[in-house]
Amino acid sequence: MSQHLFQLAAEGVSKSFDGFKAINDLNFYLEAGELRTVIGPNGAGKTTFLDLITGRTQPDSGKIEFEGKHDLSALSEHEIYRLGIGRKFQTPTVYTDHTVLENLVLSLAGSRSVWRSLFFKLNRSQRERTEEILTTINLTEHRDRKAGTLAHGQKQWLEIGMLLAQEAKLLLVDEPAAGMTDEETARTAELLLSLAGKHTIVVIEHDMVFVRQISKDRKVTVLHQGSVLCEGPVDRVQADPKVIEVYLGRKHVR
Amino acid sequence: MRRLLVFLGFLCTVALPGLRAETPAEVVAKAVALEDKTDEQIALIKSLAPSPELLSLLTLWKEGGIFLVDLPDKSKLPVLLEEAKDADGKQAALLLQSGKPYADADGKPLRLLASDLSAAETDSELRSAMKSILDLAGLAAPDAKSRLRAIEIVGMEQDLAKLPALKERTSSELDAEVKHALLEAIALTELKSAEPETVVAACRALGELGSIRSQDALRLLTKESGPQVKAAVEALQKIERHLVNVNFWGTLFRGLSLGSVLLVAALGLAVTFGLMGVINMAHGEMIAVGAYTTYVVQCVFGPGLELSPFGLHIALPSLKATGWLYDCYFVVAIPLAFITAALAGILLERTVIRFLYRRPLESLLATWGVSLVVQQLFRLTFGANNVQVASPSWLSGNWTIHDVGIGWNRLFVIGFAAVIVVGIFQLLARTPLGLLMRAVMQNRAMAACMGVRTERVNLLTFGLGSGLAGLAGAFLSQIGNVGPSLGQSYIVDAFMTVVVGGVGSIFGTIFSALGIGMLDQTLQQVLGNPVLGKILVLAGIILFLQWRPAGLFVTRSRSLEN
Amino acid sequence: MSAQSRREIWIAATVALVLLGVMPALNAWVPESSFFFISNFTINVWGKYLAYGILAISVDLLWGYTGLLSLGQALFFSLGGYMLGMHLMLMIGKLGQYKSDLPDFLVFLGHTYLPAFWRPFYSLTFAAVMVFLLPMTISAVFGLLAFRSRIKGVYFSILTQALTYGASLMFFRNDMLMGGNNGFTDFKFMLGSDLRSAATQRVLYIFTGIVLLGVYFGCRWLTRTKFGLVQRAIRDSETRVLFSGYSAVQYKLFVFVISAAIAAVGGALYVAQVGIINPSEMTPDKSLEAVVWVAVGGRGTLVGPIVGAVLVNALKSWATHAIPDLWLILLGSLFLVVVLFLPKGIISIPSVLLDFYKRRIKRPEPAEPTPVTTSSAL
Repeated sequence: MSQHLFQLAAEGVSKSFDGFKAINDLNFYLEAGELRTVIGPNGAGKTTFLDLITGRTQPDSGKIEFEGKHDLSALSEHEIYRLGIGRKFQTPTVYTDHTVLENLVLSLAGSRSVWRSLFFKLNRSQRERTEEILTTINLTEHRDRKAGTLAHGQKQWLEIGMLLAQEAKLLLVDEPAAGMTDEETARTAELLLSLAGKHTIVVIEHDMVFVRQISKDRKVTVLHQGSVLCEGPVDRVQADPKVIEVYLGRKHVR
Repeated sequence: MRRLLVFLGFLCTVALPGLRAETPAEVVAKAVALEDKTDEQIALIKSLAPSPELLSLLTLWKEGGIFLVDLPDKSKLPVLLEEAKDADGKQAALLLQSGKPYADADGKPLRLLASDLSAAETDSELRSAMKSILDLAGLAAPDAKSRLRAIEIVGMEQDLAKLPALKERTSSELDAEVKHALLEAIALTELKSAEPETVVAACRALGELGSIRSQDALRLLTKESGPQVKAAVEALQKIERHLVNVNFWGTLFRGLSLGSVLLVAALGLAVTFGLMGVINMAHGEMIAVGAYTTYVVQCVFGPGLELSPFGLHIALPSLKATGWLYDCYFVVAIPLAFITAALAGILLERTVIRFLYRRPLESLLATWGVSLVVQQLFRLTFGANNVQVASPSWLSGNWTIHDVGIGWNRLFVIGFAAVIVVGIFQLLARTPLGLLMRAVMQNRAMAACMGVRTERVNLLTFGLGSGLAGLAGAFLSQIGNVGPSLGQSYIVDAFMTVVVGGVGSIFGTIFSALGIGMLDQTLQQVLGNPVLGKILVLAGIILFLQWRPAGLFVTRSRSLEN
Repeated sequence: MSAQSRREIWIAATVALVLLGVMPALNAWVPESSFFFISNFTINVWGKYLAYGILAISVDLLWGYTGLLSLGQALFFSLGGYMLGMHLMLMIGKLGQYKSDLPDFLVFLGHTYLPAFWRPFYSLTFAAVMVFLLPMTISAVFGLLAFRSRIKGVYFSILTQALTYGASLMFFRNDMLMGGNNGFTDFKFMLGSDLRSAATQRVLYIFTGIVLLGVYFGCRWLTRTKFGLVQRAIRDSETRVLFSGYSAVQYKLFVFVISAAIAAVGGALYVAQVGIINPSEMTPDKSLEAVVWVAVGGRGTLVGPIVGAVLVNALKSWATHAIPDLWLILLGSLFLVVVLFLPKGIISIPSVLLDFYKRRIKRPEPAEPTPVTTSSAL
């Protein structure tokens, strides 16, 4: 490849589970500050791809590089996180027995060492930051509620809030709009758009309305059978006959 | 006294023909009458050809069953006393030489008091002469086992005088194992020969035979000088190689059988833990249920059984079976052990486990509580001590093939484990129940949506797992002790086996059970210490899990846990 | 400081005053004939209970707070006991059966001199250091191996069970030179005072109480720091913790080693007071028994384990005399009932009753989520 420094570069990555090729010779490049939407039919390997980036599974072959210097396949989950890669899961995963505030405190950027955790005190700027996030995700009045008692959409928001608290360079967002009302979806899109530029963001989504909302004329990547089928602005992608065939079922445009 | 009767029987048959050479009884009677003249006594008994009759006579003599009556002419008359005593404690006497009643001049049978008479004595010299005659006679014993034993004894004596008798047997011996022993005994005896060539040949023969028994004798030889030293060294090397072989195969067999025991014990767990994800700490007690069922069945076939748990009195009837019918008890016990344990398992599932399907740690704790209760119930019902379960005769023998001992019970366990494994695979792969089980285990919610009655499938699966534990118990009762804490001694091993094999994989369980069994036996062989071996196996397992945390066979699914 | 935690401290202080002040005082200064007299036996038994309480906290710190059900706590408890026991064995001096400087069992095994690893134990300081060092080292090595390969949940339980089982097999052997089957017993002196005298026992009892109090407040502090937050996060969703950038291995290892140390201290105090330690204290069953105390008392709280340890052991003391045949059945059933019907232990009974009462009175109102833990550190 060229000398150009990508935020994230995956080259020739393959991963199979018991013979099933979830990811097949995938090449994927991400510029810093980009907001990229990844779409693809069920089983296209979208979630597996995120698993590979975040160290949940290791690739069989190929390499994934972060900022041109970190080989992600050699690192474990928490080490990858500490590089500045954050992830929101498909099903909302928050600490159900902790309060909303505690969830955010656990996610705040800063030392992760055992020793520091023993003598940790929330300082003024951190307190302000959590307040700010609480306002952003609209959970200020629920701050002392246990996260497990929140509604589904609120949990999604909380998880996004946790991503914000982390101040990650690269945000991997898996189906953020699932289970949200239209209004909430719109607000999520707004939030993601406001983050673009400051952070690099990968959004995996099924909901084409939402995809259109956030991608505008940005690049959309279509995954199919574990590799990139095509890339480009959403309009072009949606018009691509290959995409129509694999993604939208038969040869009927939705 | 049975010997006496046998002897009398012989007397009758022998006494019939009129004129003939002296019978053994007459000669022995003469010898007995000689009393202190040991040399003459020995000469007399040695003059006789070995025969079963002589055997019983000499045995009787040695054991003090021949009495001497003092005759008026100061000579002694050897007699035998009949068993029955009259009111005065007197017994009827028979003449040793003829077997006819001892009578006075009028032909009236005399009755004697044992305490008035002296038993015919033997001194050590005479006894050893008798023993050597008895041993030689044993060479011709009708059943192969006693023949084998006699040959081994004679061989170890290395008495050149017995060489002809041994050599004579070689031509008539048909049993291969006995013949092997015979050749070994001859060669062993020939080591004492004065001619170096014979000794060298004997060394060579012992080497060929792989005679473990002769190692000490050969080692003694190496300290001498002459050509036999080299021959002995060579023979020892050959034997050493043979020994390595024997140990290898012996270890393999013991490992295989221990592995099979583990496998049978762990298979049930592989079903309940592996397929259902239920940690059943009471699994060991299910094994004990099977073992106790076997015990109860055995008692019903045999002497009956009286139990008194909680002040209740329960008496189980006795079939008073003997012989082959009694041996059949195990055939009845196997299915019963399965059924009782399965029922116990189903009861456990209904009352406790079904509330804890999604909470493995809690199920671990609750079932541990159950295991405590059940153990104590065993103690109160059957007593705190181990109970005796006797193996049926068809499981208690063993074969020795080239010095490798193969116990029938262990062989049976291996075979049975194989049968169970095949059965389980058939059940899971071929039957509708198996299909439902696999469906429920893979995705409970989905199966429920498809109309599968998951509750019932859980019940049956758990029953199956527990039943398998019961079967394991039936087998363990044949090779170990049956007591209230029987299950405890297997539960850790069984869990380890399943974890190493990979939870959810029956295949993995098979491999790991056999692997752990082999490793355990090999370490025992190498270290010569069972406990150390066991500890090393446990340490090995912990290290193994470093390398393969999910066990040998990983059942992969895309939806990662948590 | 919240009202709740202030109340908690008040209760703790009162209980501590009764146990550590009033009881020993009644033992020491009240005449034996008096109604208020507390016998040496009672003091000794309560000393045992308190030592068990320390063990129970160590179980709960792992199980209740971190979700690690360790069946190895009895091992660490016994190791602590053995380490102090070695010192106490040497302090017997020539008063043993064989009138030898060597511990009796060594003489019995035909030893003529003290094995090298026994020698440093003449020093109480060394023994005290070893009480901590050995269990902490073992737990660190084992924990590192187990956590690194992501062994968790029931697998961790099964593996610690195997560890304990293996260790007990080792200690049962005579050639470990640790007393084999019989372990250590017949202790005579500690720091020059007679271990069986009322005064020594009273001091040991008070000391155990103080240690328990220290452990209680130490753990209370620990579980309220951010470390405590991570700990509980690991319990609830370990995978998520990794994706929040925490190394679960380090956190689990830390808490595993700490609780091994706590268990070991409990074991050392137990041995000093009960006067015997043998490998049967080391079996996985003993670990599970300690888990029963925690389950009965209420896991995930720090008062629960202590209450559970005292109650269950008091019950045991009574039952093993009154109904010896039924004790195990009682223990097993107790466990079943608690796991099935009272997962939060008897500590939760008041709030369960209150809940029930509230629901009976005003049915339609939805249950308010009760904030049990307050983040005082934040």
